[in-house]
Amino acid sequence: MKLNIEGLLVYFPYDYIYPEQYSYMLELKRTLDAKGHGVLEMPSGTGKTISLLSLIVAYQKAFPLDVTKLIYCSRTVPEIEKVVEELRKLMEFYAKETGEVNNFLALALSSRKNLCIHPEVSSLRFGKEVDGKCHSLTASYIRAQRHSNPDQPVCRFYEEFDAVGRQVPLPAGIYNLDDLKDFGRRKGWCPYYLARYSILHANIVVYSYHYLLDPKIADLVSKELAKKSVVVFDEAHNIDNVCIDSMSVNITRRTLDRCQSNVETLQHTIQKIKDTDAAKLREEYRRLVEGLKEANVARETDVYLANPVLPDEILQEAVPGSIRTAEHFLGFLRRFLEYLKSRLRVHHVVQESAPQFLKDIFEKVCIDRKPLRFCAERLQSLLRTLEIADIADFSAVTLISNFATLVSTYSLGFTIIIEPFDDRTPTIANPVLHFSCMDPSIAIKPVFQRFQSVVITSGTLSPLDIYPKILDFRPVTMASFTMTLARTCLCPLIVGRGNDQVALSSKFETREDFAVIRNYGNLLLEMSAIVPDGIVAFFTSYVYMENIVASWYEQGILENIQRNKLIFIETQDAAETSMALEKYQEACENGRGAILLSVARGKVSEGIDFVHHFGRAVIMFGVPYVYTQSRILKARLEYLRDQFQIRENDFLTFDAMRHAAQCVGRAIRGKTDYGLMIFADKRYARADKRGKLPRWIQEHISDGSLNLTVDETVQLSKHFLRQMAQPFRQVKPPDRRRVSLRVTSPRLLSLCRRTSWVCLC
Amino acid sequence: MASLSEEVLLVVKKVRQRKQDGTLYLMAERIAWGPEGKDRFTVSHPYSDIRCQKISPDGKAKVQLQLVLHTGESTTFHFANESTALKDREAAKELLQQLLPKFKKKANKELEEKNRMLQEDPVLFQLYKDLVVSQVISAEEFWANRLGGLNNSEPAPCSNKQEVGISGAFLADIRPQTDGCNGLRYNLTTDIIESIFRTYPAVKQKYSENVPHSLTEKEFWTRFFQSHYFHRDRINTGTQDIFSECAKQDEKGLMSLVNKGVKNPLVDLLSLEDKTLDEGYGIKQALPSTSNTNKTVKESSNAAIIKRFNHHSAMVLAAGSRKNEVPADQASETSSTDGNSRDSDFFQPPVKKVCVFTVKLQEAIEYEDLQRESKQKTVALNLKKSDRYAHGPVPLQSQKYTTSQDIINAVNCIQHEMAHYKPNLTQVMSSTAASSAIAALSPGGVLMQGGAQQAINQMVPSDIQGELKHLYVAAGELLRHFWSCFPVNTSFLEDKLTGHLEEMLQTAYSKFHIWQTRRMMRKT
Repeated sequence: MKLNIEGLLVYFPYDYIYPEQYSYMLELKRTLDAKGHGVLEMPSGTGKTISLLSLIVAYQKAFPLDVTKLIYCSRTVPEIEKVVEELRKLMEFYAKETGEVNNFLALALSSRKNLCIHPEVSSLRFGKEVDGKCHSLTASYIRAQRHSNPDQPVCRFYEEFDAVGRQVPLPAGIYNLDDLKDFGRRKGWCPYYLARYSILHANIVVYSYHYLLDPKIADLVSKELAKKSVVVFDEAHNIDNVCIDSMSVNITRRTLDRCQSNVETLQHTIQKIKDTDAAKLREEYRRLVEGLKEANVARETDVYLANPVLPDEILQEAVPGSIRTAEHFLGFLRRFLEYLKSRLRVHHVVQESAPQFLKDIFEKVCIDRKPLRFCAERLQSLLRTLEIADIADFSAVTLISNFATLVSTYSLGFTIIIEPFDDRTPTIANPVLHFSCMDPSIAIKPVFQRFQSVVITSGTLSPLDIYPKILDFRPVTMASFTMTLARTCLCPLIVGRGNDQVALSSKFETREDFAVIRNYGNLLLEMSAIVPDGIVAFFTSYVYMENIVASWYEQGILENIQRNKLIFIETQDAAETSMALEKYQEACENGRGAILLSVARGKVSEGIDFVHHFGRAVIMFGVPYVYTQSRILKARLEYLRDQFQIRENDFLTFDAMRHAAQCVGRAIRGKTDYGLMIFADKRYARADKRGKLPRWIQEHISDGSLNLTVDETVQLSKHFLRQMAQPFRQVKPPDRRRVSLRVTSPRLLSLCRRTSWVCLC
Repeated sequence: MASLSEEVLLVVKKVRQRKQDGTLYLMAERIAWGPEGKDRFTVSHPYSDIRCQKISPDGKAKVQLQLVLHTGESTTFHFANESTALKDREAAKELLQQLLPKFKKKANKELEEKNRMLQEDPVLFQLYKDLVVSQVISAEEFWANRLGGLNNSEPAPCSNKQEVGISGAFLADIRPQTDGCNGLRYNLTTDIIESIFRTYPAVKQKYSENVPHSLTEKEFWTRFFQSHYFHRDRINTGTQDIFSECAKQDEKGLMSLVNKGVKNPLVDLLSLEDKTLDEGYGIKQALPSTSNTNKTVKESSNAAIIKRFNHHSAMVLAAGSRKNEVPADQASETSSTDGNSRDSDFFQPPVKKVCVFTVKLQEAIEYEDLQRESKQKTVALNLKKSDRYAHGPVPLQSQKYTTSQDIINAVNCIQHEMAHYKPNLTQVMSSTAASSAIAALSPGGVLMQGGAQQAINQMVPSDIQGELKHLYVAAGELLRHFWSCFPVNTSFLEDKLTGHLEEMLQTAYSKFHIWQTRRMMRKT
């Protein structure tokens, strides 16, 4: 159908539209009109992605000069593929309705592992290996060497792409990863580099967060993306953690050892080059004296996306003399390394700020702040000059130099914690230096500054106002949409007590309490008897789950559950869990029914959907608070309090509730779906917890379902399931439509809909 | 009659039926009885119609044999030959005893099939109720031309029976009981043993290796329950235990399952993340790689329990579907061996996996409730002169009405206009105005009052519509029977036509009449 969104003609590839989709588009359009940022929450399964795509594509078609590109960031590979498929649907609809040939170029970009077509390289299992191998075949000097030595292996796909691939742009169309590979195979071009090159002129790019948020990758891939782009972060409820992760560094003794050997190798290579090709080193020296002017010019003219690891100040200056020659720099690195080693020899936990660290390092080994800042840049230059084949080998020294740059650049927003041993195993020395970022806005700041509109959206962003605070930006629109339902297809229940009136809670004091564990077991047992097909249960942490499973086993509860359903359990091994997941789905599929025991914040809770019969009930055992004793977390909480005036408890609850919402939201993936959401902890009944759940869940929690016993829960669930199991008759105004169809053409109909969508939906 | 050529298995003379003397014939497929002196049967029952036979008690004066049919009717034969009555009956009974079971299956199948058809097809069921239950036509006639196609095409699912799966809790069902002197007694049934064997092939192998030459069956199971294998939460399996090998094999099996990877990429956690952080970055510290050393015994036993449950469930699941899966497994194995010669399949992407993926993706992005519902397939009415249909054969008058040509022209005109319509999106009417306009244009709205065509199905309540529909369908069915008699080339058809069909139509008509008058009564 066609829609009129405040004067913008939007093609929407379905015959009907949910009201919330319309409102969503409205808000989105306002955001784009204002050239500002937005925070939009809409439940999963209400067609968020297609609304987004429809509107932005329409906007791009209507105002091709105002919005040149859509950068759609999602989290996982399947999600990326999904977005591309929805886009394909939209574009097919466009072609059908307008009769024009599609002139949009849209493509997905993923890592080499998912795009490589080189027979040897693509057979490697791990992404890092693929990257390393690829680099060793395509690095510029390797290819240069081939001129003198034809036996040098290179990648023929890259060669072909390099020779002719850039001359003609990728033809317009929608490319998912497989399409890119097919195209690459046909042409004999490397799909990865083709994609990386093509995103510069593509109308729509779909890729993972990391390509924008991780400075190391963003610098390579997304640096030159046009300023007039709209950036969308989908499933963005965890975006702060992604930002923080990309800026944090952990240094262990092993890192230092490997770094040491890296430095040795570098030393060795320098010596060799000095003997054979001293001119090269001199050239590098000259370049360093000239400084990073180029980069500076580029940034000032706003050609590139800024890199948070490359702070503004250092662009204005040349690399300091003390680290300009290669040997001096190596010496400098050695000293820094020795210093870090000495710091790791502590026997008690040390926590300090970046300035304290800098002061200490100056006192101990006389390293100044300035050369430290240039460390990352200087090392890159050196690695380039020395023509290091396998960058992956030098990850340790790169890590250390990045750390040096970060610690000397940001005096605020980071903390250094040195722990001599793991808290759980105090007898084993395993010193770690955590350099942890506490301010997610540092990593995302360049994105907000550079792109005209950034939209943060997800099914669970409540409470909305916290995201602008912690990401430090000012949105022009903030909105939360609820789900209009033809039937109440979700049923949130809060179980506060067992049948014996024991309060159910996963709080620390009662964690080991057998009565609680037994009641939790009873709840699962009872539910397993009445819920059809699949049940997913989430625990607050892996350790907690292990303990509970063990004691359920001892009490014989699991045996009884097995009478009703098969049991699968998430493990810490991803491959094993994948297997369990597949078997779980198989068991749901063939009617046997199964239970999946899983962990909040785990991979399953974040990336796997349990549609329809794969998840008829989700049980959340306990409130998934983060492990509060961690020093890093404590430091972050303190920082949040000082900088953003967010109270510790508010943040912890917010964090726990967003994960709980994520977990229970896994079961409802659309309006035709239905599922029970069981919160098994009495603390959920409190207003401060409940109030932080997304609106679309909160709405359906009635006062009567706040503090239920297991038996009451079973009764309510039975009732709900019986209702839901009735065939779903869609409530549409059929007769009216049929008549109008008979007398007029579909076009008139679409006109009618356009002008009066409300009465038809 | 044609059926006379059938093989006659037994002839019993002097059998009375309804106080008439006659002869009883037992033939290959039916039992028949004809009165004396006539060459046609007045009673004839195919064996498949017979539910059971009953005989009169020995002491009774009359020696009788009663046949009870599936329809509930019964036929009684009185063996009247005084000297051999008992013997005759015995012979008939014996033969029937042999014959009936052969047909019983078929009959049951047919019955089941009929039952199924009625259950699955509500229209048919209604028809059945209208025609058969209200005794307009007989059940046989009703089924006569429906089951024809049915008998030929044997229902496929019956041939391969579904394998019975294994209860997930079969191990839990073996409840140990104390025998009073510090011992435990396990009760094993063959079902449980079968379950164990099917779920754990390794145990079966051990069993066939050891029983009976080195161990008795009892000893084997005693050891099984004593073993650490059964109590898997204890991890340190002793070496002397014969089941320690099984544990290892299970471990291997689990590993191979895990290594095989998953077919559905949507649940493949390994390839979910696009780009992982490099080593050393990120908040979450990497778990120590040498995990075994610093794990406590309790933790690792917990891990073993978890592993065990995953394995057990996977095995139970596999045991249920093992038979069907074998070919698929082989296929995947051959393809994996192909994987070694990589250059050969380099240009052939793993098609199957991609297929699954795209299908799953398509499923995931569908919004079925946003799509227009697919309309039911109907047969288009092809009219040459539609105004004849709409108005009926009316005498030509000078009365003025719009011809269909005018209407078609008008519609075309509107269509043309709509096709070239360019909306001015910034200046549209408000949605309230638009919705009121639509309401006015909708059936029943202000502007659509005159529209006659919409009225009938909205004016008449749905229950009346339903009843009328039933009558209509029933009458249609009768008419079908009626027309199928033409051309009348056999006497049977003639009989049918002149005899009861007319009667039936009469019944149907009167039924309709009754309904009509009842409706009218109710209205007034």
